[in-house]
This record gives sequence, structure tokens and C-alpha cells, in this order.
Amino acid sequence: MIGVAVLGYGFMGTTHLAAWKMMEGCSVLGLWGRNRAKLEEAASRYGVEPITELDNILKNDKIEVVDICTPTYTHVELAVRALEAGKHVLVEKPMALNLGEADRMIRAARKNGRKLMVAHVLRFFPEYMRVKELVDGGHLGEITSLRAWRGGPAPEWSPWFMDLEKSGGVAVDLAIHDVDYAIWVNGGLPSRVYAKIVNLVHKEYRVHDFALITLRFPTGSIAVIEANWALPKTYPFTMKLEIDGSKGVVQLDNQTPIPLKMWTGDKVEGFAPETLPWKPGVHPFPLDPFYREIRHFVECIIQDRKPITDGEEARKSLATCLAAVESSEKGAPVTVGG
Amino acid sequence: MYLVEKVRTGFLGVAHFHADSYAQSLKTIPQAELVGVFDRDKGLAHEFSQKFSVPTYDDMEKLLKICDAVVITSENALHHEYAVKAAEEGKHILCEKPMTTTLRDADELVGLVEKKRIVFQMCYVMRYHTVTSLARDLVVGGRIGRLLVMVGTNKLNRSLPLLRAWFTDKSLSGGGAVMDHTVHLSDLMRWISSAEVVEVYTEIGRNANPKLQVEDSFLTTVVMGDGSIGHIDGSWTYSSGHYTWGDVTLELLGSEGVLQVDAFRQNVYFISSEKPDDRLVWHYYGCNPDLLLVKDFIQCILGGGKPRANVYDGRQGVAVTLASYQSSMEGRPVRPG
Repeated sequence: MIGVAVLGYGFMGTTHLAAWKMMEGCSVLGLWGRNRAKLEEAASRYGVEPITELDNILKNDKIEVVDICTPTYTHVELAVRALEAGKHVLVEKPMALNLGEADRMIRAARKNGRKLMVAHVLRFFPEYMRVKELVDGGHLGEITSLRAWRGGPAPEWSPWFMDLEKSGGVAVDLAIHDVDYAIWVNGGLPSRVYAKIVNLVHKEYRVHDFALITLRFPTGSIAVIEANWALPKTYPFTMKLEIDGSKGVVQLDNQTPIPLKMWTGDKVEGFAPETLPWKPGVHPFPLDPFYREIRHFVECIIQDRKPITDGEEARKSLATCLAAVESSEKGAPVTVGG
Repeated sequence: MYLVEKVRTGFLGVAHFHADSYAQSLKTIPQAELVGVFDRDKGLAHEFSQKFSVPTYDDMEKLLKICDAVVITSENALHHEYAVKAAEEGKHILCEKPMTTTLRDADELVGLVEKKRIVFQMCYVMRYHTVTSLARDLVVGGRIGRLLVMVGTNKLNRSLPLLRAWFTDKSLSGGGAVMDHTVHLSDLMRWISSAEVVEVYTEIGRNANPKLQVEDSFLTTVVMGDGSIGHIDGSWTYSSGHYTWGDVTLELLGSEGVLQVDAFRQNVYFISSEKPDDRLVWHYYGCNPDLLLVKDFIQCILGGGKPRANVYDGRQGVAVTLASYQSSMEGRPVRPG
């Protein structure tokens, strides 16, 4: 039985918690957070023990895995402490706010011989997995371009998202999903990045809410990634992908293929078992991307394998997003890598 | 009895597919008369002449003598020569995009058209599409607040440019997808925002069709004079099995809302079952912008109106396109000339 502690009781914390509760061979031994009232509410909702002292997790030998779902700016300290304490660490994306922090985490994992995985969940969405299979199977031939679109209303429910210093803004927090995916299907880092990353409508915050990132890979394949928090509150969370290749084209979006819709009163709700909108407790978990992602991490621990998005791999998308921000500030293309 | 005034219209070059659609449209307009066709390729001219029952002319000068107006749907690189000849003769001109392949030619044409006081209309059909026109009205009417971002695609089924060899012959087309498919979106962005493109950054990627001598895949980021941001993907990279010819989509983000356009999305789906690999095919039933474009041209000539897209709009399209090539070559953002 693998003992697990989840840090953070926000949207991602409770999402992961629900998935951990379904995981065979694992037992959630505690939930940690700074706000006692919120911690106890979430812990009782999921039937886990609330823990207020981090040391009680780090010193507990029964806890092998620490799953960090706290705000981005707290990742590095928590991850390094957990790794130093001999825990395997799953950490939400983005892994950190800068490459110095990312490298500290990577070094701590290496030094302590523990697994570090960054939760780039897009790699576990069934439609994105299917596209990757088509690419790997050679069905698209050589990839020539990728268009990705991701957006919804700004996450104002958690104020730290709306603070550039704490979340990195829409490029580092949101676009990183598709940047990671583009790196995955293109087989590595882009060579050049050009971007427009701005505060479009949320003038009351110091944060980027719109990113338009163009990538060029060493193969000559190109990509454009739009990440958008500048949308009206009624806008459904939407993701779209299109990849063109020498042999074919693949397209997906999460809004059209909704296999079940429900109208009740003045509301309409869509349900797709494997995709968004995801509601804890509503969907069958084995198809859920969060379940798959965590399952992968557990298998990597049991079988001593390298997680698909370990620290080194996740560093690539972070480096690319940071280069995009730099490009936007400079008004010029920026070279990544090195 | 009263005189019905007809605009006698000739075609100078029919190498572009759009010639057929414009001719069909002209045929339905009572105030227009199709009087002849010239093409340097006699075979093409003959084909067109058969299809639309119009006489062919081997000598462009002779055709010009009997015309009030011309439609120029030749290879891109010949637009300038044909337009200058027609303008010198005082003929009204409907010109396929891109207007010219060099900025010098474009500027010369702007001067000539102004001097000759003729109607010169660019075939920027998207200004005539009811959906993009509606989008512009909504934006201009303030419905999404201040316009901040415009992201567009005008992608093309990759098999189409192969149907006429000149499209992929740089000496006749001036270039590939960048030359062919930058202007519809850059023009829509200018039209909707009432601002000029002041900065262009383009990545030209490796080709989806490596056999082409011209580029077929590119991504362009633009900045408008009012500070708004735009993005253009006009790649010829949709699969040859794509459900339709391509698309025109435009996302318009404003301070108070967002508007998304998929201009050619009105289709019925048809699935044949003759062969095992038959696939879904879309049959379009939406607005026919070509007809509205040609009607406007005729009306401008008869009624003295101003076309929605004129010679200067043509010039600005050329400037953005050429800046795009320069940016790609130099690896930096470029200000259009």
C-alpha cells in the first residue's frame, strides 16, 4: 500500500484527491493546507485526515508520495522539502515560476533518488492521446504545423492566479499545457519563440490574460498557441487542436463531441465521461485524465520507471513559456534551449 | 422606350479559378454584359469562351476597345501589366488579389487609378460575405467593446493549388501560401479595425507538400496601428481529403466580449456510399460573396459609388504580404512599406 499526502485543497487538490481515492494500492493518509477551516471542510468532504503541520507528513514513513497542488509560487519549497524527506513528488503544472526553481527541484529529485513528475494532464486526455498515437503511427507524415487554442473565463476565484508574480500569468499557467503538448509531438524544444502576451481586459490585476505564442522547431515545423483568460464569464472552458502534416490533418475540440447533454430548468449541462467539464464524483474514473495521470505516476514508482513528464521534460515547456514572455517584452523572437 | 445601360465587361486572364465564379455572377446581372475573354493561354481562353458563350480575343488591345470594364483574373504576376493597360484606356477594373507582386507596381497602379478616375475594385470577397460583414457591424457598433485581438485562419485544401501549375510557380504567382492567403485576413483586419498593419512577424515552416517550389505553411503575427494584435494562418495545408475547399475563421476579442466567425460553416453533410473509403463531404449553402462583389462593381460603375475595397486597399495587402516574406527571411518583425 502506497501512502499518499495531498498538499492543497483547491480545485486541483480536490480533483487529485478524488482520483487518489479511486487508486488501487494507494491510501490517502492526509490532506495539508494553510487555511484550517478550508482544510477541515475539504478533508471531511473526501473522508481524509486534515494535517496542519507539514512535518507530520514529511516525517511520516508511511507516506511515500506527496502530491503538491498548492499555488505555483509555493511549489519549489514544498517539492524540495518533500524530496529531501525522501518522498516521491507529483507537482501540479507549471512546476515552478523560473528555471532556477525548476533546477532546484530536478537536483533534489536526483540527489535523493526519488521520482519527480509534473502533472501535465493534457498528455492523459484521451483525445490528445489519440492524436499522439496518430502522429507516432506516421498517419500524419511529417508534422508541419500545430494550432492550439485554450481558454475560458479568468480564474478570479483564486486571487493568486491573477498575480503575475505568483502564477506567471496566462502564458506560464495556461499556455504551458499546449506548449508541453507541442514539445511532445514535435520531439523536443522549439528553436525559436515569438509571442504577444498582454493584459487585455483585466486592468485591475497585474497579470497577463492573453497569450499568442508562435514556435518554430528545429525540423522546420511551426506552431501557434493561443491561451485566453480574456473571455466573458459565460464562455465554456474550451480547448482545440489542429495538426497538419505531410500526409494528413487532425483536428479536435472539446465542445462538439459532448455525448450527453442535460437540460434542467434554465440550465444546460454537458457531460463527456473522458473530458471536460469534469465533476468529481459524477464520472467513471478509469476514463478520467486525472486518474490516468496519477495511475501513470504510481506505476512509475512501482516499476521504477521514468515519469513521462519528469522534471527535465517539464522544464522544457517552462523554458519555452518563459522565452515567450521574454519575446513579448522585447518585441523580438527569442532562442530557446541551452 | 428607354435605354438600358449595360456595362460591357471583358476578362483579362482567366488563369485564376475565381474567373468562373465572377463570370457566372456577371451573367445574372441584367446591367452587365460579358463581351469577351483574353488569356495568354489560348486553351484556357477557349474553355472559358465555351463555358460562358463569349468570344475570345487573341489581342488584348482589341478586347479593351469594346469594353467599359475588365475583370483581371490572370496569374498574379500579370495583374499589374494588364491593369495598367486597362487603366490607360480608362476602363474600370475588378482585380483579383493579390493586386500586384511588388510594392512599386502597386504604387504605380494607385497613382494611375487616381489620375484616370476609374472604378478600381479589389476582389476582397470577404468584405462582401454577410457573416464577416455582420461581424464588422457588431464590432463597429461597439457590441464587444474596444477591439483588442483578431485571430484568423484562411486555410486551403492542399490539392487545390496543384490544379493550375502557375499557383506554385513563383515567377507567375509571386510566391506560395503567404502571397495567396495573407491578404483576405489582413484586409479583414484593416476593414474591421479601421487601422493599418504596422508590424508583421512571420514564420514560414517546412512544407506539407515538399514537392512544391513555393511555401505552403506559415504563421503571421501582426500589430495594428491602434495597438490591437492580429494573427494570420493562411496555410495550404488542409488535407486533400478535407470536407471542403478550406475556411475563413476569425476570432475577435474585445474589452466587453468575444465574437467568433466561421464564415463558410453553413453546409449540409453528405456521405456517399459508393466506395468503401467514401468520406463525409460538405455542401455549402451559405452566402455567395462573389455575386455581391460583382454586383457592387457594376453598381459602382453605373451609380458612381465607391467600391468597398479600392486600389489603396490592394496596395496595403501587397505591403503586408511582402513584409511577411521579409520578416521570415530576416527573422524579425518588420514594418510594412
